[in-house]
Amino acid sequence: MRRLMRLLSAYVWRQFLEVMAWREFVVTLTINQAITPLLGLAVWSAALPGRSGISTYYVALLVVQLMTVSYEHHTLSNGIYAGEFSNDLLKPHATVLPTLGMNVAMRIWHLLVGIPLIAALVLVVGVSLDARHSLLAVPALVLAAALRFVFTYALALSALWTQQAHWVVGFGETLIFLLGGSAAPITLFPEGVRPLGAALPFRAMLGFPAEIASGSLSGAEVLAGYGWQVLWLGALTATAAVVWRSGVRRYTAVGG
Amino acid sequence: MSAISVRDLSMTYRAPVREGGLRAAVASLVRRRYREIRAVREISFEVGPGEVVGFIGPNGAGKTTTLKMLSGILHPTDGEARVLGFVPWRREREYLRRIAMIRGSQPIGGPPELTVMDSLRFQQLIYEVQDEEFKRNLSELDEMLDLGSLLERQIRALSLGERMRSGLALALVYRPRVLFLDEPTIGLDVSAVQMIRSFVATYSRETEATVLLTSHYMADVETLCRRIVLIDHGCIAYDGDLMGLSATLSPYKLVRVAVSDGACGDWSRYGEVVESEPGRVSLRVGRQDVPAVTARVLAELSVVDLAVEEPPLESVMDRVYREGVA
Ligand SMILES: Nc1ncnc2c1ncn2[C@@H]1O[C@H](COP(=O)(O)OP(=O)(O)OP(=O)(O)O)[C@@H](O)[C@H]1O
Ligand SMILES: [Mg+2]
Repeated sequence: MRRLMRLLSAYVWRQFLEVMAWREFVVTLTINQAITPLLGLAVWSAALPGRSGISTYYVALLVVQLMTVSYEHHTLSNGIYAGEFSNDLLKPHATVLPTLGMNVAMRIWHLLVGIPLIAALVLVVGVSLDARHSLLAVPALVLAAALRFVFTYALALSALWTQQAHWVVGFGETLIFLLGGSAAPITLFPEGVRPLGAALPFRAMLGFPAEIASGSLSGAEVLAGYGWQVLWLGALTATAAVVWRSGVRRYTAVGG
Repeated sequence: MSAISVRDLSMTYRAPVREGGLRAAVASLVRRRYREIRAVREISFEVGPGEVVGFIGPNGAGKTTTLKMLSGILHPTDGEARVLGFVPWRREREYLRRIAMIRGSQPIGGPPELTVMDSLRFQQLIYEVQDEEFKRNLSELDEMLDLGSLLERQIRALSLGERMRSGLALALVYRPRVLFLDEPTIGLDVSAVQMIRSFVATYSRETEATVLLTSHYMADVETLCRRIVLIDHGCIAYDGDLMGLSATLSPYKLVRVAVSDGACGDWSRYGEVVESEPGRVSLRVGRQDVPAVTARVLAELSVVDLAVEEPPLESVMDRVYREGVA
């Protein structure tokens, strides 16, 4: 485990430096990622003026979005298509490490580039964050980050079976956007579907930490949300491991 | 115990087939058809520790496929292999730490913006090389590969030859016990080729590493390998020492004759003329006829020089590749 963490941080650092070479591109990516939370903010504060918590929710959601971005369809899938995946297979460590390292490095970059934007929003739209809620949201953020990586990683592994991995991951992103609390906060879902939205993994990947931070959840709801997160993380990790194993068997059978 | 031991190893690829055109493309969405490609067919061979073996064969013979199986990238359809006692495709960490697979077509993976030294340091971490050892290995590699000025350069900006040198350094800084070299000299200039050749020779001698090397340049094989394994259409066609290869595969020898009295008329009564100029000729003579032919030449002509040679390996291989092993 210690060795794993050491290797991971080395990969993160190395990829962080690597990404520095195309930092202009990261700015573009960050802006793209910021668009949906910003739109949500504009639309919902116009639709429900005076409703407390909406702007706090969307600013928090922006932070979550930047800290959970996952581009495994570019890193992993393209590596599989280009045959670079073979290099990862030769390494004497878990094959996921280079991809995970890149993922974390990209998130750090997104956050760094996004800081001015976040700061500006905090000043302009008026955000009411209290320390207790923010602290309570941190573990949820970490879990969301892990979940979204595992989810995207598993989808990106579809590159081992089809040429359509970008489409597969794109579909997953759409689900996260629609059902994860970006298009509309789960708390504003119609009464009947709200419990479903709260239970789905997409909220656990995105909206849940922002809901905690904006103070819109009761203690029991927070607890239930954490329960879902842990449950989904276990389920998706197990799924990803199965997909991974049969994918590698297939890759090594068809040849890189 | 052998370092590499391969028994009845086979690899059959399943490649999707699809005719050109939109209609076929649509049809293939519904029902995919596969074609089986038997890339490697029940090959068996052993390589002893410290041996440097040339693994040669025409394009598409199955060389890269075999190296990929032995380095754990591919799972064979059938058969067994042990390298250093490990089953390669289980990809155990202890195994992967002891081997290196280097492909001449893409010697370096990893982020291209970083410098060669960054990447070396990274290898040190991944392969857990102690600092002392790292420094010692690096200075040896530096001496052999003339890395000096390359270390601070970005990988992105390296030429192919520089990439190959750096790639070798990256792969060898952790002292692998077994090296799989897939066409390490492809696309390199004469002096780079020389450097790589003498490097591989020195490395294997000094570290007693086992090397399995493919190349289409017979000179690589001639200078580096005492033994070669020839693979053709996925089957082993020859396994033995280099000298024996031309003896087995080429039924001819080359007889070079120089005579003092200029023109000699009809050389073809002695053998097939390969090249000739006034007073000099190279003849292709059947192996068992060589003693008789040389005796006749010496008796009938005023010979100033006569030499019997094995045909050049390139031309032997050319015949083998085109016509198969007799
Ligand atoms: N991923 C793959 N899918 C399907 N067929 C493949 C695949 N890789 C290789 N083949 C086929 O397997 C056979 C052996 O290929 P391989 O790359 O092992 O040959 P090689 O001896 O390395 O040739 P070369 O000298 O051209 O590098 C060829 O017919 C090739 O077309
Ligand atoms: Mg090849």
